[in-house]
Amino acid sequence: MDYSILLAQAVLNGLVIGAMYMLMAVGFTLVFGIMRVVNFAHGEFYMLGAFTGFFTYVYWEIPFVVCLIIAASTVGILGMLVERTLIQPFRADEMSGMIATLAISVIIQNGAVLLWGPVPRAMPDIVTGTLAIGPFNFPWSRLVVIAAAALIFACFWLFMQRTRLGRAMRAVAQDTETALIQGIRVNYIYPLAFGMSVALAALAGALMGPVFSVSPFVGATPMLKAFVVVILGGLGSVPGAVVGGLMLGMIESFTATAFGSLVSDILQLLLVILILLVRPAGLLGQREA
Amino acid sequence: MRGFLKVALLSTACAALSFPAAAQTLKLGVLATLSGAGTAWGIAMQGAAELAAEDVNSKGGLEVGGKKYKVEVVAYDDHYKAADALTAFNRMVFDDNIKFVVGPLGSAPALALLPVSTENKVITMTMAFTPKALSADYKYSFRPVIPSDVFSDPQIKWVVQKLGAKRIGGLFPNDESGQQVGAANEAAYQAVGAKFVAKEFFERERVDFVPLLTRVLAQNIDAFELNGNAPQTAGLLVKQLRELGFKGPIIRTGGDATADILKVAGKEATENVYVHQPINTDAPAIQEYTRRFEAKYKMPLNAFSPFFYANVQMVFAAMQKAGTVTDSDKVREAMLGLKDFETVLGKVNWIGEAQWKSNQQLDAPFYVALLKGGAAQVVAKCTPKLCE
Repeated sequence: MDYSILLAQAVLNGLVIGAMYMLMAVGFTLVFGIMRVVNFAHGEFYMLGAFTGFFTYVYWEIPFVVCLIIAASTVGILGMLVERTLIQPFRADEMSGMIATLAISVIIQNGAVLLWGPVPRAMPDIVTGTLAIGPFNFPWSRLVVIAAAALIFACFWLFMQRTRLGRAMRAVAQDTETALIQGIRVNYIYPLAFGMSVALAALAGALMGPVFSVSPFVGATPMLKAFVVVILGGLGSVPGAVVGGLMLGMIESFTATAFGSLVSDILQLLLVILILLVRPAGLLGQREA
Repeated sequence: MRGFLKVALLSTACAALSFPAAAQTLKLGVLATLSGAGTAWGIAMQGAAELAAEDVNSKGGLEVGGKKYKVEVVAYDDHYKAADALTAFNRMVFDDNIKFVVGPLGSAPALALLPVSTENKVITMTMAFTPKALSADYKYSFRPVIPSDVFSDPQIKWVVQKLGAKRIGGLFPNDESGQQVGAANEAAYQAVGAKFVAKEFFERERVDFVPLLTRVLAQNIDAFELNGNAPQTAGLLVKQLRELGFKGPIIRTGGDATADILKVAGKEATENVYVHQPINTDAPAIQEYTRRFEAKYKMPLNAFSPFFYANVQMVFAAMQKAGTVTDSDKVREAMLGLKDFETVLGKVNWIGEAQWKSNQQLDAPFYVALLKGGAAQVVAKCTPKLCE
């Protein structure tokens, strides 16, 4: 295998993994930015999205796009309910809120094991075959993930920039009290932001289901990586999550291809320590006042 | 409501009556991976214990020394991790007072808990392939499955000669099991003139192997070895290898993972895959066991399961012979005395003295199969010496 093929393959792998990390981290950082809550259950919503995608696609045999919409909306609504009932009571207390999300994570994961069993389920590919460009072969199943993630992020970005609701969310993230003075109903924004955040995680889960597999434990790794990404990009920063996600995906792919998996894991975590030491607010994050 | 109460009372009475009033409980432990990538093996072990228990319980219990014992299976999840396995095993030994355990599953968990099982005289039936799982020091460690250092040499020799493969690549989990299997595999391939040109290790939680496979494929391998990987992981590896355009033969020398490989990778990707097949799926006793297992657990049978079922049957027979369900020394002696014991696998014996200084390895024939059109076809029958 010559170096150009190796390089192209590493770029594609990096983009696929980076796209997943980006979707996970954007939602994760959104909730922190707006609500100041570190949502430890974020990975479990990814898992719920993967299962929703799996059941709707395999048993109902409906188009995958519809499965994605169902996954995002059901998990999003569930997220709003969770915020309203379990997170809102701890709004004034960040630490209790975090512990609440940790408890939610355990409840959802164990509930999934009870309901669906621990055995991983294989999800059939949405598309099969490879795209051959000269000597390069790219599996369609992975290219679709990149395209879908880019589209989902574009929709999310437009929503945040161009709609009143998106602007309201950004206003709450910047300064809750000023937003309140401007007449923004913060009590509506919080559940909405939480629902949207977990809907993004669900979309990532449903997209990655066919590439890997679906089990109650699939949320753990993306959750851990989302942490790494927001440290890289800056906690609370959406552009930071995008840059951090893609960057981590690329670093992971290139270092694993060049040096193997063990060195790759060491390098990623070294990078996190380095960023924390040199730029604690992250690459695009802002230092708290 | 009254009707419901009547039914409830009646069913409780029936359950109570199905065991004689004097029936006592015999606890049989299961320590295996019941979540994550190794679940197929864990359920195979749990299923073996539960089906064997069902056999004796349906006859009113296991009769030992004039008393009837109802067999109760107590299963704990080791998450395929040594620390978790040791915690669960301590609970089994010290809280539940269990003396007979189906498990541990992996080599790392086995090595962690064997000193405890030896000290407390607990008979274990392990799936650990490490050569260290059997030794003169571990008097109570039995192994019903045929490990790779018994089957890999004849099988690798047969496959390499048939395929003419010279350059081999493989990925292995980064723990005791993976390191052990990787080293044994490399030596076995070298012994028959092939070379392991790419060998990588990864953490068990990993599901995206594409970067590592890209690295392996860059070495222009002729064949890929799946040994040492959990069933689900083996399936993902096959799927991702084919996605990367690798069309060469893929060899599964390690434990049975055929059902999962087919399920995860699909029919098309699994052409040209050679697998180790511990059982003959055409044998009527195996077919009957498969039917029972699949009806109860709603998942395809993992071929390791009948080995544990056979071993539990031997434990029960040994208890009856020794006249005790508590003295594991006597049960051990009685079990080692069983010759040509008729099981679901056919007649089995104990071997291993020459290799591990412990005659506690089950001896049964094994097979090589080729996956074709989504099914395994036996292409060679093997003994520890040769496949043909």
